Amino acid sequence: MNLINRFMPSNGYRQLPKSVTVHAVLLAYTVIALFPILVVVINSFKERRAIFRDPLGLPTQDSFTLIGFEQVLQRSDFGLYSWNSLVVTIIAVGLVLLLGAMAAWALTEYKFKGNLFITFLFAMGIMIPIRLGTVSILGLMVNLNLVNTLTALVLVYIAQGLPLAVYILSEFVRTIPKELTEAARCDSVSEYKIFFCIILPLLKPAMATVAVFTMIPIWNDLWFPLILAPGESTRTITLGVQQFVGQYVTDWNSVLSALTMAIVPVLILYTIFSRQLIRGLTSGAVK
Amino acid sequence: MHYILRYVMTSSNQHDEKKPFPWHLVFFLGPGLLIYVVFSVYPLLDTLFLSLYDEQNGQSSFVGLQNFITLITDETWSQAFWNALVNNFKFFAIHMLLQNPIGLILAVLLSSPKLRLSSTYRTLIFMPTMLSVVIVGFVWQLLLSPLWGISENFLYDIGLGQYFDAWLGKEGSALITLGFISVWQFVGIPMMLIYATLLNIPDDIIDASVVDGANSFQTFWHIKLPLILPTIAMVSILTFVANFNAFELIYAVKGALAGPNFSTDLMGTFFYRTFFGFQLQQGSASMGAAVATLMFLIILVGVMLFLFFIQRRIQRFQF
Amino acid sequence: MASVKLNNIKKRFGNVDVLHGIDLDIKDGEFVVLIGESGCGKSTLLRLLSGLEDISEGDLYIDDERVNGRSPAKRGIAMVFQSYALYPHMNVFKNMAFGLKIAGKDKHHVTEKVIEAAKKLKIDHLLDRLPRELSGGQRQRVAIGRAIVRDPKVFLFDEPLSNLDASLRVQTRVELGKLHQELKSTVIYVTHDQVEAMTLGDKIVVMNKGRVEQVGAPLDLYHHPKTQFVAGFIGSPKMNFLPAKIHHADPENTQLVLESGRIIHASIDSSALQKGDAVQIGLRPEHMSLDCTDNRFEGTVTLLEHLGELSYLYVDMGQEGELVLKVDGDNHHQAGDHIQFGIKPTHLYLFDRDGKALNRVNAHLSPATPL
Repeated sequence: MNLINRFMPSNGYRQLPKSVTVHAVLLAYTVIALFPILVVVINSFKERRAIFRDPLGLPTQDSFTLIGFEQVLQRSDFGLYSWNSLVVTIIAVGLVLLLGAMAAWALTEYKFKGNLFITFLFAMGIMIPIRLGTVSILGLMVNLNLVNTLTALVLVYIAQGLPLAVYILSEFVRTIPKELTEAARCDSVSEYKIFFCIILPLLKPAMATVAVFTMIPIWNDLWFPLILAPGESTRTITLGVQQFVGQYVTDWNSVLSALTMAIVPVLILYTIFSRQLIRGLTSGAVK
Repeated sequence: MHYILRYVMTSSNQHDEKKPFPWHLVFFLGPGLLIYVVFSVYPLLDTLFLSLYDEQNGQSSFVGLQNFITLITDETWSQAFWNALVNNFKFFAIHMLLQNPIGLILAVLLSSPKLRLSSTYRTLIFMPTMLSVVIVGFVWQLLLSPLWGISENFLYDIGLGQYFDAWLGKEGSALITLGFISVWQFVGIPMMLIYATLLNIPDDIIDASVVDGANSFQTFWHIKLPLILPTIAMVSILTFVANFNAFELIYAVKGALAGPNFSTDLMGTFFYRTFFGFQLQQGSASMGAAVATLMFLIILVGVMLFLFFIQRRIQRFQF
Repeated sequence: MASVKLNNIKKRFGNVDVLHGIDLDIKDGEFVVLIGESGCGKSTLLRLLSGLEDISEGDLYIDDERVNGRSPAKRGIAMVFQSYALYPHMNVFKNMAFGLKIAGKDKHHVTEKVIEAAKKLKIDHLLDRLPRELSGGQRQRVAIGRAIVRDPKVFLFDEPLSNLDASLRVQTRVELGKLHQELKSTVIYVTHDQVEAMTLGDKIVVMNKGRVEQVGAPLDLYHHPKTQFVAGFIGSPKMNFLPAKIHHADPENTQLVLESGRIIHASIDSSALQKGDAVQIGLRPEHMSLDCTDNRFEGTVTLLEHLGELSYLYVDMGQEGELVLKVDGDNHHQAGDHIQFGIKPTHLYLFDRDGKALNRVNAHLSPATPL
């Protein structure tokens, strides 16, 4: 009875069958979405035999083991990979936000020749993937002596993230009332101060959205780490997992544990930021 | 960079001789623009130029469109190129036929009025989208592995066991299976964007159609669907760009050779092999650049078609 | 054309009671205005009538047929929304034709109906336009047109004028009145604007906190408010209230004492009360006059508002309280002036502790018309 009440809207009875169908479909799809992830995570805590005998069972006292994780940590430098990913992501996202906000401000606030052209240039970058320039980017990094450095990744990711950041932040700057800046100019506050003390704080909510959108592709990227920084010491977590799984493909414990170690932190972060992300997606910032 | 600064200078000089050089503009716009131009715009343009050259034995010489002619007509290249291109269109078709309709249905269900737990469903269904394509590829490789047998047992449980096959390993089914995996991962994006558009339709408009006598299907067909068409069009073009740029999933599951027998080869993996070489074939920067240029053109044409035909016809609605 | 009858209609959202039992009789062709402050339940009531919300309890009859649970279209109602709620992707013609098309009417008939309604509303030259290409006033007409083409038994209006600017609002108000006279249809109209209510309504329903406070013809509500809430709600500037105590209870000539000790005479039946009971005296700004020698008050003018033909004087009377007076526009008062004024005992209103009005004796204007 309680259950029925929970799933029934206040004016209930007439709508009951419809709302049950809706819940059934959504629940079914939620299971489809989560099941593969759960299977991998659950089995990473089980012994090899249990993985094959009862793949859907939870680890029991008998079958519980952390051997997979131990082997992953032994055979590869997961701590370093995670650290590399973290450094690259944080620096790149931070700079995308700062430089993106500055550029968005300049392009929306000041009128100058070439403004439209530069805006268009950034807009093109939203649609045209930076990946297509890889041949030249690699050549460029070789010339700059940046191959196998995290700097190379950071630079590329900034270039990759800026177009969308500039677009979203420009839309947002446009909603800031002109009076704010005009009042400040009347008090002869410098342009720099206006931006850093007035505009930047106002951009915070939009920047949070941009941060999430920029962060995900960077953290998950395989292409550029594979091409620009495949060395052991600069490997990111995605590349590290890819290499590890490729190498130990028959060691189920290790493979499952490696995948779990890559999945779980992202899911934790996602749970924390999902509200922000979904608000960003649904607020129309990316329409 | 230089001509932009010159623009700035001339414009300010025209307006007011005494106005100081707008250093603040350089300060705000300079760093971002510099990085973007050097690491994105320049490499893209350079790639386009590079595709017109032949780089062999360290010597580069202008060959015009020869690289493209080779790609399209030379037997060793053309077969692989057309194969990758056709596969890529199949891959895109799978997304259009599955990802967007499923996303649409989920979005409509999620937006049903007074739905409890709607934000929980939304968060959970979107979860796979957050994961790296590489990870997702491996997860499904394990799940579909005949060695482990999870999928096989599951299919037997629901009475479809005899249909199980090593789908990822068969030439006929590998690409479709990879398409399904990609749809599974990214269905959250159309769902979320369409859901957002549905939320933005004012309740009054839906109420008005109810008062006008429309049942829920008629309300969906006559009112909601036309209003979310622009979003569906936008999701389609995003999907198009992403699909013609896809690489990780194939690389993770099938490697750069996109087996079996290149049946899962997409433009992305073809580009990678061309650039870095594989087996006996040596990598070639200029041929790689040529492939990248073709990908660029395909994406550009897709985006242009979208902007000039669809976007122009389907207007956005202000409520 | 139809009569509408509400019998003890209640609405709950979860555990929250929004409407506590509404009874209402609406005659065929009547223009009924639901008025009240925001959150009083007037819009909810309209949505219950329309069928957009389910009725929790009670019976709703349209033309003596119980229509609870029937879909909006089957009730034979049409609604005009505050936001107009025009379909943004359809042109004016399609917007107006949508309901008929859904009902499966043949094309010829639909076209005829739409053009007829469009001509009536003078929007027949706009039929090809999209809503976003129309002005606010034009959208408003399309919304009304969309309702008219369906020949509903009852029109429901949800604050239809509140999105228009002031001058257009007056003009549209007048046109709505004319339209009602022409169509002679039953109209239920929600607003928070008392001028709209007074000018348009055959009958006004004042709502407060999910209850009907009073139902009556516009002038009835003005002259004979049953509660302090209604008295304060109808009239502009609103009625002044001064706290007082019964000095001498009497069926005809009640004596009241103000905070200052001043004695006031009122032609009111206070026989149910006793000496010392707390009451509120109601004084309409337009009933007080500088020349009147009854019930003299005095105070200092703190503010003047000149409206041209008349002025509002804000008067501070120390511990007795503050009042607004409506006086002739040709006065020569200034802020700071000390003035005296009075009010006839027959013009006073009196409300007991619970805000209920006490009976006025010889209330010298029209007697309450029985409902």
